[in-house]
Amino acid sequence: MTDFVQFAEHLRQLLGEGEVVTDHERLRTFECDGLAHFRVCPAIVVLPQSGDEVKAVVGACVAQGVPYVARGSGTGLSGGALPRADGVLIVTTKMRSVVEVDVTNQRATVEPGAVNLDITRAVAPFGFYYAPDPSSQLVCSIGGNVAENSGGAHCLKYGFTTHHVTGLEVVTPDGEVVDLGGGKALDAPGYDLLGAFIGSEGTIGITTKVVVRLLRSPEAVETVLAGFSSIDDAAEAVSSIIAAGIVPAAVELMDALAVQAAEASVHCNYPVGAGAVLIIEVDGPRVDVDESLRLVEHHSKFHGAFEMRVAKNAAERNLFWKGRKSAFAAVGRISPDYIVQDGVIPRTMLASVLNQMAKMASDAGVRVANVFHAGDGNLHPLVLFDGSVDGECERAERLCGAILDLCVASGGSITGEHGVGADKAQHMPRMFSDDDLATMQLLRTAFDPAGLCNPGKVFPNPRLCGEVPIRHSASDPSVKTGMGEIF
Amino acid sequence: MTTPDRQGHKSQFVGLGGQRDVVDGVPATSVAGVGTVEALAEVMREAAERKETVVARGRGTKLDWGAPPTRVDLLVDLSGMNRVLEHASGDLIVRVEPGVCLSELQNLLARSGQRLAIDEVVPGSTIGGLVASGLCGPLRLAYGCVRDLLIGISVVRADGVLAKSGGKVVKNVAGYDLGKLYTGSFGTLGIVAEAIFRLHPVPEARVWVTTELSDEHDLARCIAAVTTSQLVASALEIDCPEDGAPLELAVLVEGISVSVERRAQALAHLLGDRHTISTTPPIWWAAIPGETTVKLATVGSDLPRVIGAITEQAGRTGTRPCFRGSAALGLLYVGLSGGSDPRAVAEFVKEIRTVCEEAGGSAVVLRAPAVVKRAVDIWGTVRPIGLMRRVKASFDPLHRLAPGRFVGGI
Amino acid sequence: MAAQPKAGRAVVPQGLRLADSRSQKAKRAPELELLDACVHCGFCLATCPTYSLWGEEMDSPRGRIYLMRELAEGEPMTTVMRTHFDRCLGCLACLSVCPSGVRYDKLLAAARVEVERSTNRAWQERLLRWFIFELFPFSRRLRAAAVALRVYQRSGLRTFMHRHEVFDRFPATVRTLESLAPRVPRYESFPETVAAHGERRGVVALLTGCIQSVLFSPVNAATVRVLVAEGFDVVIPRQQGCCGALSAHAGRDEEAQGFARSLIETFDRTGVSAVIVNSAGCGSAMKEYAHLLRDDPLYAHVAEQFSSRVRDVAEFLAEWEPRAPRHALEVTVAYHDACHLAHAQGVRTQPRDLLQAIPGLDLREVAEGEICCGSAGIYNLLQPEAGGELGDRKARNVLASGAELLVAANPGCTMQVTAALRRVGTRLPVAHTIEVIDASISGLPARTLLGR
Repeated sequence: MTDFVQFAEHLRQLLGEGEVVTDHERLRTFECDGLAHFRVCPAIVVLPQSGDEVKAVVGACVAQGVPYVARGSGTGLSGGALPRADGVLIVTTKMRSVVEVDVTNQRATVEPGAVNLDITRAVAPFGFYYAPDPSSQLVCSIGGNVAENSGGAHCLKYGFTTHHVTGLEVVTPDGEVVDLGGGKALDAPGYDLLGAFIGSEGTIGITTKVVVRLLRSPEAVETVLAGFSSIDDAAEAVSSIIAAGIVPAAVELMDALAVQAAEASVHCNYPVGAGAVLIIEVDGPRVDVDESLRLVEHHSKFHGAFEMRVAKNAAERNLFWKGRKSAFAAVGRISPDYIVQDGVIPRTMLASVLNQMAKMASDAGVRVANVFHAGDGNLHPLVLFDGSVDGECERAERLCGAILDLCVASGGSITGEHGVGADKAQHMPRMFSDDDLATMQLLRTAFDPAGLCNPGKVFPNPRLCGEVPIRHSASDPSVKTGMGEIF
Repeated sequence: MTTPDRQGHKSQFVGLGGQRDVVDGVPATSVAGVGTVEALAEVMREAAERKETVVARGRGTKLDWGAPPTRVDLLVDLSGMNRVLEHASGDLIVRVEPGVCLSELQNLLARSGQRLAIDEVVPGSTIGGLVASGLCGPLRLAYGCVRDLLIGISVVRADGVLAKSGGKVVKNVAGYDLGKLYTGSFGTLGIVAEAIFRLHPVPEARVWVTTELSDEHDLARCIAAVTTSQLVASALEIDCPEDGAPLELAVLVEGISVSVERRAQALAHLLGDRHTISTTPPIWWAAIPGETTVKLATVGSDLPRVIGAITEQAGRTGTRPCFRGSAALGLLYVGLSGGSDPRAVAEFVKEIRTVCEEAGGSAVVLRAPAVVKRAVDIWGTVRPIGLMRRVKASFDPLHRLAPGRFVGGI
Repeated sequence: MAAQPKAGRAVVPQGLRLADSRSQKAKRAPELELLDACVHCGFCLATCPTYSLWGEEMDSPRGRIYLMRELAEGEPMTTVMRTHFDRCLGCLACLSVCPSGVRYDKLLAAARVEVERSTNRAWQERLLRWFIFELFPFSRRLRAAAVALRVYQRSGLRTFMHRHEVFDRFPATVRTLESLAPRVPRYESFPETVAAHGERRGVVALLTGCIQSVLFSPVNAATVRVLVAEGFDVVIPRQQGCCGALSAHAGRDEEAQGFARSLIETFDRTGVSAVIVNSAGCGSAMKEYAHLLRDDPLYAHVAEQFSSRVRDVAEFLAEWEPRAPRHALEVTVAYHDACHLAHAQGVRTQPRDLLQAIPGLDLREVAEGEICCGSAGIYNLLQPEAGGELGDRKARNVLASGAELLVAANPGCTMQVTAALRRVGTRLPVAHTIEVIDASISGLPARTLLGR
């Protein structure tokens, strides 16, 4: 049994007084990330200011057999940064600078706590940007992005974090500092441990430096807002557009219920009476964009778009997106409680899956509002319910599980962007066999034989008592209102 | 010594290793050809029971890459696993078996106006070999490499267990991305049983704009101009056929016809006079040179220095290198003829490697005649080698898969 | 008189019955219902000044809300909690960015009240607070102090003390106080009513403020001139007291309520349709009177009515077609968003529109404009290190904008940024939005603004 008072003292000697938190009131402010359902108060929180300090902390934890969890901005939606009651939470928010910008080689080196959008802000004056743009990019950390392999609205065309990171400095679970990848160069010889690390959800080490790839900001951007009478029509339009060889920068779809909520919240003035609304964005050289826009309008009309608007300027573009981005916060206005799901299906199955989900929802007696990244089949069904009604919460949660089953059965995935974390570890067997999971564990044991690095995440495991995350009931305040501009 | 009396009911053939069944100079004791994933798993299970060393082969185009294996008890031939399992053109994904030839796959995909955005750098390559070597060509600039296009994979482990990761959808963060780990691992962690890739539409038009450069500094200027422009080049390659010959630069722009036309014109303007515009690639496009091929990876800004070093070392060592590569990505393939003096080659590689590694890059000998391989350090500095060895030990505790072919003796 | 708020000592009109202060004690703790709106998304971290300084969850809105929740769950107020609540600037940038509509302003107000109620501060802190709240809300006392300050500034004593680095030996707060004090202008008094030029469009009342009227009286003069030029009679109640902003924002609710009641009485007598405020902090406090007096059965309704008539001067002018012609002002200005104008009142576009309507004026934006300058009422006095760092940052961003003149709509901001600029060795003239408009209407050349 670890004496945490003594351990904290030891850490203070390693890091300095101000970087070790043990006051209970303060510790509690770290007990959950963006997924407020699960809360566990850590034994100690440390806020290191450098890679060396991270190394020292990990070394101390390993020496004492104390588990540790890394946390960035704490905006993750799968509980990946959920602390351990018997462990240390290593928070990287003091390591947040953009260390170097190398425009010639289109690279930037940043610390793990650096905010995603700050990278783009740092390089925008040179005409470049950092492509992966999760909707929480105003506050989420690049280290968290690396752990989750985050995408964003534009990942259809531009890919995810793993496509934009060429090097990492990592503190391994041995307490060593290693470089994964080639830094700014590509193809370092040996295994692609860089690729294996990205998306490993903080279970095989802690990032202390990230080298990212920068892209040239596109010459032109056009955004279309289209209203359709039905989801089927909208889905068909998307299929046609993609079949025509266009790769839109982003395609977002909202159903009637989501539109209704968004309208009530931000008065985005979406096409009235629409069964589904599409936002399609194309970018690139001016000539390509003009042609793509023409095709997008053509296909949309062909599949029944009864109203179409093209944003005339940046302000109007923002307004189009505002409704979509507020959809989550907004559903809080049309339902007392809800659960956000994150699943993926092959895009071509969109209409059929939605119809099936509609049936499942009506059978369960709950409503589902739908917001999707239609371009890549990533769904965010919002399961609406009233926790104060007997049994409705349970029905809602069961429906969530059924939706995940449906995603997997359709050839998709249980998570498109939020990660597995603590939330979906139990669902991994829906998608992977024991052999599949055991093989993934081979990687984990190679890195972390002691099993101290963010244990209990990603893989299903029996819960130890005392470590049960408090799952709040639906009437919990944190479920009541909107989740904000998170998706 | 193993015997050929293995269960053949699901395999296509078994037998003793013949003259063709040699891996980089090391003859295989026996060969088993498999046509299905079940057969593959079964063969691997038996091999595990017998503790045999195993190397997989597609069409054998890259069997002489990397270091020679210490031993090959069993050569598993995957050319019989040559089906395209699923092509979901609406979702832009394809599921293939490892024995499918890349060229055949492209032909199939082209019928739906799609392609796997990977150049066939080594003719005759199969999908399995593509994944095991991680080799790609000029299109990498716009589309990424094998690792970026692979969205799901199933492998048969050393113990014969089939394991998958990833899936059929591009957007997927469930579980570890083992596909990245297997890519470029030279078959040392498992045998590819199925690979799933994301596809792209075949562009309406493709145009190459080629020019001659005066020197490596001219190259730096051109790369900067192209990459900071709005021309969205799909590829930017250079070729120097022999020491002293002029440097040729070729840029590929793709897309809809009217756009390609305009961008090609703008590109020509950018590159200066003495350019040619063509709808066919230069003859050297997407081919790697030399019987000894060294792959250099560095950062773009360091390229002039590396090229200068190539010339300098060529003179010093008396070798006659040519080079070619994706300059905008900092990747160069240096080719030396098979008849070069091994010690001179080793010296050349050592010096060039020092130059590359100084800037955080690397130099790897992809292929070379056996006598050269014995004299040269194939991989150079590999980090973190300790961790890599642990990964290998985890996946293949008995060190049976392609032993010795990879870095650090793995 | 019945239960009078002690430090208020405002003039209470005859016949007025004050509410029983016991009824004010209801619902002191941050309300659980308000806390429930927070879903822990973390967007507030992006614009929080203290989070940008220290990167610690406890000093972010999300973290502070969490601490409030602990309070609401029944945990006692601890020194740790108090430290983090005290460190909050109250800039309300989080209010602007929160997607879920969390009323952090109300939560913070309740938390501050709790802090005051349950804390024993160190004697130095108590002395400082006593000094501030005995001086700032009382114009007569401030005027007396200003006379002394004027002597100090113009006699050469100040120069002497700075040259001999006397202040280095004083505590940070004293240093800050000294550095913030502007050059005291000549005392100016106003008539009770000033008539509009030309056809009258309406009648408005003006809050002259405490700091504003004593240390920045030219701003009030300019405000009157502009309003009058735009066709409004301006009523300036002579006996007006403090609006109570500093008290309200420091958790001294009873004191603030006393000031509020007096002010409401004073201005309600004028019968005007709009009460004009040219100080962001004051305007925001006066718009919150409904919340401040919500438990007062006598004043709740009246306060709500009053609040609805409060307008920032830029907000007010933007509601009317400009009448007085604007003459050209060839000057490059950077507009500084005062937190209590931009975040608390949502007034952002109006001042910018008014400035851009002036021919020849080049308006620049200040980078990181949503981050507070560190003044935040008296924050720079109570937390001088943090206030100083934020001030320095704002000064750097202001200078980077390349402007010749900084326009700020709050005396606190003006003093803070001026002091910070001085620290980096630069002088940049600072003017109030209304002074720029006044200069334009009066046809004054730019140098009258720049030569300050």
